[in-house]
Amino acid sequence: MLEFYEPQPDFGTPQSDSETLVTLTIDGISVTVPEGTSVMRAASEGGVKVPRLCATDSLKSFGSCRICLVEIEGRRGFPASCTTTVTDGMEVRTQSEEIGKLRRNVMELYISDHPLDCLTCPTNGDCELQDTAGEVGLRAVRYGFEGENHLIAEKDESNPYFTFDASKCIVCSRCVRACDEVQGTFALTIDGRGFGSKVSAGQAESFMDSDCVSCGACVDACPTATLTEKSIIEAGKPEHSVVTTCAYCGVGCSFKAEMKGNEVVRMTPYKDGKANEGHACVKGRFAFGYATHKDRITKPMIRESIDDPWREVSWDEAVTYTAERFKAIQAKYGRISIGAISSSRCTNEEVYLVQKMVRTGFGNNNIDTCARVCHSPTGFGLKTTLGESAGTQTFASVAKSDVVIVMGANPTEAHPVFASRLKRRLREGAKLIVIDPRQIALVSSPHVKADYHLPVRPGTNVTVLNALAHVIVNEGLQAHDYIAERCETADFEKWVQFIADERHSPEDTEQYSGVPAADLRAAARLYATGGNGAIFYGLGVTEHSQGSTAVMAIANLAMLTGNLGREGVGVNPLRGQNNVQGSCDMGSFPHELPGYRHISNIATRQLFEGEWGVTLDPEPGLRIPNMFDAAIDGDFKGLYCQGEDIAQSDPNTQHVEAALKAIECLVVQDIFLNETAKFAHVFLPGASFLEKDGTFTNAERRISRVRKTMPPLSGKADWEGTMALANALGCDMHYNHPSEIMDEIAKLTPTFSGVSYKKLDELGSIQWPCNDHTPAGTPIMHVDEFVRGKGFFAITEYVPTEERANRKFPLLLTTGRILSQYNVGAQTRRTSNSEWHTEDTLEIHPHDAEERGINHGDWVGIQSRVGQTVLHADVTSRVKPGVVYTTFHHPVSGANVITTDNSDWATNCPEYKVTAVQISKVTAPSSWQARQKSFDTQQLQLLEKARH
Amino acid sequence: MSASKIERLVKMVNQISLNMSSNGSADFVAMQVSEHLEKFWSPPMKNLISEHIADDGIGLTPISLKAVTELAAVQRAK
Repeated sequence: MLEFYEPQPDFGTPQSDSETLVTLTIDGISVTVPEGTSVMRAASEGGVKVPRLCATDSLKSFGSCRICLVEIEGRRGFPASCTTTVTDGMEVRTQSEEIGKLRRNVMELYISDHPLDCLTCPTNGDCELQDTAGEVGLRAVRYGFEGENHLIAEKDESNPYFTFDASKCIVCSRCVRACDEVQGTFALTIDGRGFGSKVSAGQAESFMDSDCVSCGACVDACPTATLTEKSIIEAGKPEHSVVTTCAYCGVGCSFKAEMKGNEVVRMTPYKDGKANEGHACVKGRFAFGYATHKDRITKPMIRESIDDPWREVSWDEAVTYTAERFKAIQAKYGRISIGAISSSRCTNEEVYLVQKMVRTGFGNNNIDTCARVCHSPTGFGLKTTLGESAGTQTFASVAKSDVVIVMGANPTEAHPVFASRLKRRLREGAKLIVIDPRQIALVSSPHVKADYHLPVRPGTNVTVLNALAHVIVNEGLQAHDYIAERCETADFEKWVQFIADERHSPEDTEQYSGVPAADLRAAARLYATGGNGAIFYGLGVTEHSQGSTAVMAIANLAMLTGNLGREGVGVNPLRGQNNVQGSCDMGSFPHELPGYRHISNIATRQLFEGEWGVTLDPEPGLRIPNMFDAAIDGDFKGLYCQGEDIAQSDPNTQHVEAALKAIECLVVQDIFLNETAKFAHVFLPGASFLEKDGTFTNAERRISRVRKTMPPLSGKADWEGTMALANALGCDMHYNHPSEIMDEIAKLTPTFSGVSYKKLDELGSIQWPCNDHTPAGTPIMHVDEFVRGKGFFAITEYVPTEERANRKFPLLLTTGRILSQYNVGAQTRRTSNSEWHTEDTLEIHPHDAEERGINHGDWVGIQSRVGQTVLHADVTSRVKPGVVYTTFHHPVSGANVITTDNSDWATNCPEYKVTAVQISKVTAPSSWQARQKSFDTQQLQLLEKARH
Repeated sequence: MSASKIERLVKMVNQISLNMSSNGSADFVAMQVSEHLEKFWSPPMKNLISEHIADDGIGLTPISLKAVTELAAVQRAK
């Protein structure tokens, strides 16, 4: 997929999805296209390019530039080919003397108000205006340039990633339409009329001050150099490109990494990428600079104790040292005294290798992954009810949804490219129910308004889900035939008895959830009767003491209403990181082998034992929280942590720090000296997604290729580092390329048996299961029957969390993410995205703020039962009274100093979303923050000693 | 045996029992809890909670105690 740089094909107008075909003739060529296709697109599909400026195939046709005029037999005049749709038998001419003259005249007018600086223009050679001038044969501008013009219009360089040079704007409105139609933010407009028309961000503000979310859709759409990436202005036009997959959220956008040598100069969303179809967000499109940031550590380092300076060593010395220390620990403390944590930021092949090394090299099952702390309840809940630990749909499926429930997720911030799809469907008329303690943007934003916002009190999700089901059952709105045909009858009847009880009624549950009963009843009716109903949920569902129960309750709702097994419906977990689905698929949990098969299953074990040549431990290993507890208890002494920053991301920071300090050999493999690495004894330099081959699996179960664009800065991709360590431990791993690891995965995992790099290259991406029955993959799951056979209605009793508000801790803290930053911020904090979010703040309702004498911007202390931290206050009604909110993107914020050890009953996923706290005005950082600052300074000094 | 260790495990078992409490009769729930522990807990955790029966299962709810007793029988049979 390495190819010379070429702009992506553009057919001018969007594809029609009509199944009726129409045949016409264009310049004597017979073309057959779907009804509703524009003449321009039909021509493109027939190999005839009609010159154009205001048209591009990601936007509806607009018909403003008048360049694309054609002649149509039997019609008067020169219709615009972009706005004229094909008819059967139509005869079109795209070239004639008269057409040529008209196009040149129009083009001449455009160019008469355009700087003629093509040779020094940043988009020289990659400019549609320049190309079109050439196509129409413009040779002179008769009007001169002395008249009134826009040539000295001011540049807006406020955005860190792109420039708006108004002097080059032809007011084609492509940027405005891209913001509206593709992104759905409506931040741009055309201000003024006639000659005075100009593109304006917000209320005549700079791009940075406007509502612009910096998705880059406008930059992509611009046919001139008006909106241009600063990286292109600096570096010039790319010379080759590589198609790869974004390493940020679980949407898994496909990109063309556009390169000059080994340098990425631009990430362009790939139109053929099925998850994103040519769209992107500020992180994926622009925030790739961290990969070459000066903080990257590219040499292995070791030290005896965390008070010692680091010492740079060779890869050989580092892995030999690690293997010796791990073996010594096992000899002293026992086989199960070491373990590993893998990361959803790494590839499938990498996480597969880590679990293989643990099971074969460590000789135990102490392998867990960061999905433990985010979506492990999804795995448990969906496996129990439906039979498979995965979402059921494609993202594109939302275009067929009539009613959408978004629960405990904030797609416009955390899954922005999916949010754009969703908003497009909502603008078309689909209904929206938001279940969230906060007034997230989807509740009310331009052209989007939720039909119902159920502002659930943190910790009471299950009461709301049960109440929705209660209304549907008691009002007889369930899908009787669907349930009778597809679900376990006895279990359903038992569940009906349970859910019909009055304690689940909206009127009864309101006292716990705070959700008005009338709204809840109306929302239940809407979901049950409004057509195709789809549920999208996030960590606001899973990260609770009843996370697994809530996931099962969601599956119950979908089965109850027959909303599983076709397009437009389904249960869709929005995965936080790029490869959460994949890391779970790859056997990264301590109780199961790849493909979600329990370690106690003899036949499965024998399959792997035959391939791996070892005897496997039949007992589950430790989960991440169990590892921490065991470390503090003195039973767990060695940890290999790849690509995860547990010191910042896991709850109850002081507990985690105590565990890390108790570990005798902590090995961290990462691209930066993250917070966890500051407690490490061995640092193995990691590779960014740009430096390795592999695959990621997104929230749709879509396996996409990650392709190396540059050599790994440390000399080894992560899978090579793991392999070296495994072999030093006595394993026998010899892979020449990640494709060989995928071949092994396919050989051992029924749901992946049809997957190979060759097929991925052919198809672009594959949604598992992919096997002999579904050789091209499975876009929609559970079509004719559930994976488990009959659907299981699980009993979902509400059990209040132990983390309750009281007089001492009267407010409930919940946490989340913002658009510009990603998780612990290790990547995005090292990019210009920090200009949007320099610090984490505490959102507090004006009423709660007033009671405490807190003003906007004050320093406030946040005290929970386990710790205290200090942040600036953001007084806002986005949160309701009694609830406060913060993000966790900056280590110094210490958001997880406050969160507790409480966890989901079934999976131990931490209860990040509910922490009882008290807020007060303060004048100094917390004691933890003071210690953190001092420890951070010490560790950076110890790092400096290694480098000099 | 560390008090905090066993207290942590007792809390976990009770939480599982409570969340499964409406699934059926006490015997049925105890069986489900026992299976859950067998399926997801590591051997040291299973052994420790099983040994806690010798201390009369202090802190365990009746269903949890029954579940752990069943788990202990499974552990012994291994």
